[in-house]
Amino acid sequence: MKRIFVIGYAALLLASVAYAQESTPAPPPVEPQVPGQQPGASRSTPPGQAVVPVPVPIAPPKPNGPIQKSLVRITATAVDPDYRAPWNAGALERGVGAGFVISGNRILTNAHVVANTRYITVERDGDPNKYPAKVQFIANDCDLALITMPAPDFFKNMVPLKFGGIPALESTVSAYGYPIGGERMSVTTGIVSRIDFQLYTHSSVDQHLAIQISAQINPGNSGGPVMQDAKVVGVAFQGYSGDVAQGVAYMIPTPVINRFLKDISNGHYDEYPDLAITYAKLQNPAQRRFLGLQDDDRGVLVSSVIAAGPSDGILRPGDVLLAIDGHPIASDANVELDGERAQFEEVVERKFRGDSVKFDILRDKQSMAVTIKLYKPWPYSLQGHSYDVRPRYVLYGGLLFQPLSLDMLEAYRLTDLRLRHFFEYFILEQIYLQHPDVIVLSNILPDPINSYLAPYRGEIVDEINGKKIRTLDELSDALAKAPERIVIRMIGEGPPLVLDRDKVAAARERIKTRYNVLQEQNLEEKPASGLASAGR
Amino acid sequence: MAATGALAKKESTVASAAAKQKQLALVRVNVTGQSYDYFRPWQKKAPFSKRALGAVLPKGRVLVTADLVANQNYVELERAESGEKTAANVRVIDYEANLALLEPTEKSFLDGIKPLEITSDTVVGDRLAAWQLEPTGALLATEGLVTTVQMTPYPIDIGQFLTYRISIPMQYRENSYTVPLVKNNKLAGLLLRYDSRSQLLDAIPAPIITHFLKEADTQDYRGFPSAGFSFFPTRDPQLRDYAGEKGKGGVYVTNVEPGTPAMKAGLQVGDIVTGIGNHELDENGNYVDPLYGKIEFTNLLTAHAYAGDVVPLHIQRSGKPMQLNLTLEHRDAKDYVSPPYYLDQAPRYYVVGGLIFQELSRQYLKEWGANWQREAPQRFVYFDHFQSELFPERNRRIVILSQVLPANNTIGYDDLAYLTVTKVNGKEVKSLDDLAEAVKHPVEGFIKIETEEDPKQIELDATQVAAEAPALQENYGISSLQRLQ
Repeated sequence: MKRIFVIGYAALLLASVAYAQESTPAPPPVEPQVPGQQPGASRSTPPGQAVVPVPVPIAPPKPNGPIQKSLVRITATAVDPDYRAPWNAGALERGVGAGFVISGNRILTNAHVVANTRYITVERDGDPNKYPAKVQFIANDCDLALITMPAPDFFKNMVPLKFGGIPALESTVSAYGYPIGGERMSVTTGIVSRIDFQLYTHSSVDQHLAIQISAQINPGNSGGPVMQDAKVVGVAFQGYSGDVAQGVAYMIPTPVINRFLKDISNGHYDEYPDLAITYAKLQNPAQRRFLGLQDDDRGVLVSSVIAAGPSDGILRPGDVLLAIDGHPIASDANVELDGERAQFEEVVERKFRGDSVKFDILRDKQSMAVTIKLYKPWPYSLQGHSYDVRPRYVLYGGLLFQPLSLDMLEAYRLTDLRLRHFFEYFILEQIYLQHPDVIVLSNILPDPINSYLAPYRGEIVDEINGKKIRTLDELSDALAKAPERIVIRMIGEGPPLVLDRDKVAAARERIKTRYNVLQEQNLEEKPASGLASAGR
Repeated sequence: MAATGALAKKESTVASAAAKQKQLALVRVNVTGQSYDYFRPWQKKAPFSKRALGAVLPKGRVLVTADLVANQNYVELERAESGEKTAANVRVIDYEANLALLEPTEKSFLDGIKPLEITSDTVVGDRLAAWQLEPTGALLATEGLVTTVQMTPYPIDIGQFLTYRISIPMQYRENSYTVPLVKNNKLAGLLLRYDSRSQLLDAIPAPIITHFLKEADTQDYRGFPSAGFSFFPTRDPQLRDYAGEKGKGGVYVTNVEPGTPAMKAGLQVGDIVTGIGNHELDENGNYVDPLYGKIEFTNLLTAHAYAGDVVPLHIQRSGKPMQLNLTLEHRDAKDYVSPPYYLDQAPRYYVVGGLIFQELSRQYLKEWGANWQREAPQRFVYFDHFQSELFPERNRRIVILSQVLPANNTIGYDDLAYLTVTKVNGKEVKSLDDLAEAVKHPVEGFIKIETEEDPKQIELDATQVAAEAPALQENYGISSLQRLQ
């Protein structure tokens, strides 16, 4: 699931030299350039490597400049939390990805290259050193991150790349990175195939604009720039494995990148706001007449309004959205933005927390205008992957209680019908109102006090000693203050789970020792480590 | 047991004894049938044909599994030795116990065959012979060992029934669909399922067959009874203590379904059922059967009791012993919100414009194949699985918009499918009949359908729907736009 694309050691210098020679007859790169940078000027030999002028196999048809002066190789050591033994630190994983220098001495890469990391090093062209780096900002919802280099001279001779716009369909782009097994930087070219909303698999819950390109993007391209006319038009980030679809790769387009850079300009990443509504297209003529709409191909129908979202109390199911910030919404949910048709949510996508969005609506055949102040509704986080946080849990009497989440479901490969239902319909059926945490008895560490409790595994806690349990904090509290007999009711039919408080207390040290439980509960999603997340 | 090596023996004593009998109490049964197509509920699927064996019983009847003759169009009996054929009728069928009785249309057809008697004394360690036929009509007998007698679910997954598990190396023959299992030339069971890899055969045992036959002799076949409560073991001392249970044994009542014998008798969630009739239950719900030893108490209700019987239920409520009298009933498939099976009956549906409405049933979900629990729409699987919890009122159906046929009146709706209908034209919909009635009363010329899931509302132009109906039928070959009977 995690898409750290591991690359081989690319011989950047060799590539650099050869590239420069090949491209000499071509028109000089427009940018980026630094004074004194001449073809071959970076011919500084790294120790232990002989300089052999090998031609680069693929030369981009349109030179984008000496990308080697901007591209970096990022080695990240991550600790992925262990949801099955959440008191443990988790498994060490090492991955390598690409990144590139942008203005302000910063390096842009994918969030998935640096998520959950404890230690990051960066290498650059023509320099044998590995430089420790720090994550400055990470946006898991749009798979982008910025890293900074404490080494003062790191950016000397590096060339910051500049951003372009959305490339035209069918225009050619070049992707830079270090695909599988490559010894040196590789360039692949392709055309822009499609511009559309896509699921960003790093979080698995967020959809943003993404550009599909036909260039081969493989493990090793992650975080690398995709260029056109010497400008970055995207960051390569995900693709299909060959057995699903061939030649389908995606890059994060510049509107998403620019939004990220603007969001963090106040020193904090606020995440994407969301309207938290569902809607239906209004293409049926009878339905349009029923709603009192004209035959003008405009409007979409609000189906659900999520109570935890910013539209609650402002929009209602049955409202017809006619325009967003003055842009007419077509009946297929598209608006025209900068001459391109895009889903109307793109207007919201470009906004920030605290911004407002104005809708012209039709309610009960009456025209109205409403304004919604945007924020990110919290319940969605359950359905996406979390990074850089410790899993929350309570271990009591060998019973492990964990809040339902995508990470937890995947860790246990749970397929229980009820759990799946609570997960899928957490938002749409507003389950979060009763169960902000859906607390699952996820695992049992066997001990004489819980010998007969296996049938309760996978069930959801409803109440403890008559008190409804809504959050993990409430569960921890109820167990801490429990009377002699603890009666835990689960959702659905079945007897309550009954525990004897004194026996649990007597078994406590035994269980902790036997299973090497370092900590019996974690109630806060606090950052897992200070190092990688410094400055966040 | 000395008999282990005998499994490989071709000629067993049981088999050779049977072969000496002149005319086998076996007939071939040829069935052609058609299942209903739940994805196009106005039509039937392509015909299937099955060839099987039937055990000839007294009174000119032939016993087969219900599986074999479900959704049949034509059943034919064939004499093994002569190949003579006659048509047959299905006289009684019990899908839950997976048994059916056939009768030849020609009364004299079974003349000369000595019917099989039934023996109900099979126990673990006994050897049973599976009777199959060679193409010549000669007997092929294979012997196996009864390894366990236990309660297992039958193909129509309602409750559990007594089952013999037999270790037996069966050979493939045509007509092997239902195979009688014989002990001392008496019928001991009927093949329920066979796993060729493990060579384990599950058989419908004689006690279930006897129960079925006894009921079948009555005017009005009622089926196997059920009590209507679910239970949980009380092994956990902490749970026993909580329930105030001081003695030994008993099971914890976790659910009492409305309208069932248990509810009528006053059983409550949290009661501990400690005994049924003269039998005591242990913590796992087993009683000691004189033949089989420990076995789940539900066997007392299915194999030994009949609908209408009054069964004393001994319980402990908050530590106090009580006796409740259960008047057992059979629960029909139609008494479920999502019926567990729907066989030999045409599915109900109603087409409005291009929208197809059906009632949720497990039969519908099974259209997704063997893995339907994973592959069918998960929301519907959830509704079906938790139906008694989600729809405690019981007396209703779940009406679904199963699919949309593209037509002029459904433009923009063609991606919709698998939605739960809550209201039509403002009226609550708890059955297709409700829907059919509500559709007749459009509001200001529109038919408004409300769904639990997005998009929540769908409107059609009533006049347009009526005008386009003939073209829709013509286009998609829909013989009738509704079936409500």
